[in-house]
Amino acid sequence: MNQENINPEDVRLGALLRASRPAPALPPRFQEGVWRRIEEAAAPVKSTGGITWLDALVALVLRPRFALAIATVLIVAGALLGVREGNQAARQDAQARYLAVVAPNSLR
Amino acid sequence: MNRSLVILLGALALGVVMFGGSYFAGQRACRMMRSGDDLSWLQDEFHLSDAEMARIQKLHEGYLPKCAEMCAKIAAKKSELETALNGSTNVNPVAQQKLTELAALRAQCQAQMLQHFTEVSRTMPPEQGRRYLAEMQRLTLGFHEQTESSMSGSAGHEHHH
Repeated sequence: MNQENINPEDVRLGALLRASRPAPALPPRFQEGVWRRIEEAAAPVKSTGGITWLDALVALVLRPRFALAIATVLIVAGALLGVREGNQAARQDAQARYLAVVAPNSLR
Repeated sequence: MNRSLVILLGALALGVVMFGGSYFAGQRACRMMRSGDDLSWLQDEFHLSDAEMARIQKLHEGYLPKCAEMCAKIAAKKSELETALNGSTNVNPVAQQKLTELAALRAQCQAQMLQHFTEVSRTMPPEQGRRYLAEMQRLTLGFHEQTESSMSGSAGHEHHH
């Protein structure tokens, strides 16, 4: 240790200064709380798998292009299926109409 | 409830509505567009020309009054049968006679109907005519065959005609 660098006046001055500005008492378990917060901030965000999957799906569904494409597919598929079924039903209706005229129920 | 789940369920419901709406609209439009007269089925099903349809129309118009006359006779005979059976606990001789007459009338009417189908089939191209005749026989006579076979099967005995 270099004794020449120690200035007794400065040591005393430091003690006086510390005494003139008293530090407030720290709350209980302050240090432990600080470390816990640091660990939490450093840790990766944890979330349940279901919620993440659902959020991703919703984000996909809400994309305008995707929503428009799905809507178009649903409408076209519904209409095509409806026309196909309608054709079949119309054919059966027409057949029933013809049969009702030429072959009354009492004969069938 | 989770916001994402609500959005997803809403989107799903909207999708179902869109699909269902377009399905019913397509079906309805198709049925409305294809609804025609009594003979429209023949033209569509057997790919007939206008000339063939005109001949069939003529045969059809000639057949309808005869068919209506036979139907009126059958209805009258059924009424007579009901009167004969009214209050009776067994099949009396009068009811038996009415049943025989009703069966004879039905057979006569069926023969007339089959004759009409044969005439109509002759106005079509041969292949279509054969198909029409087979289809009409299946539709008008097949019902009895189904009933008879189901009854003979359920009763556990067979009829040989």
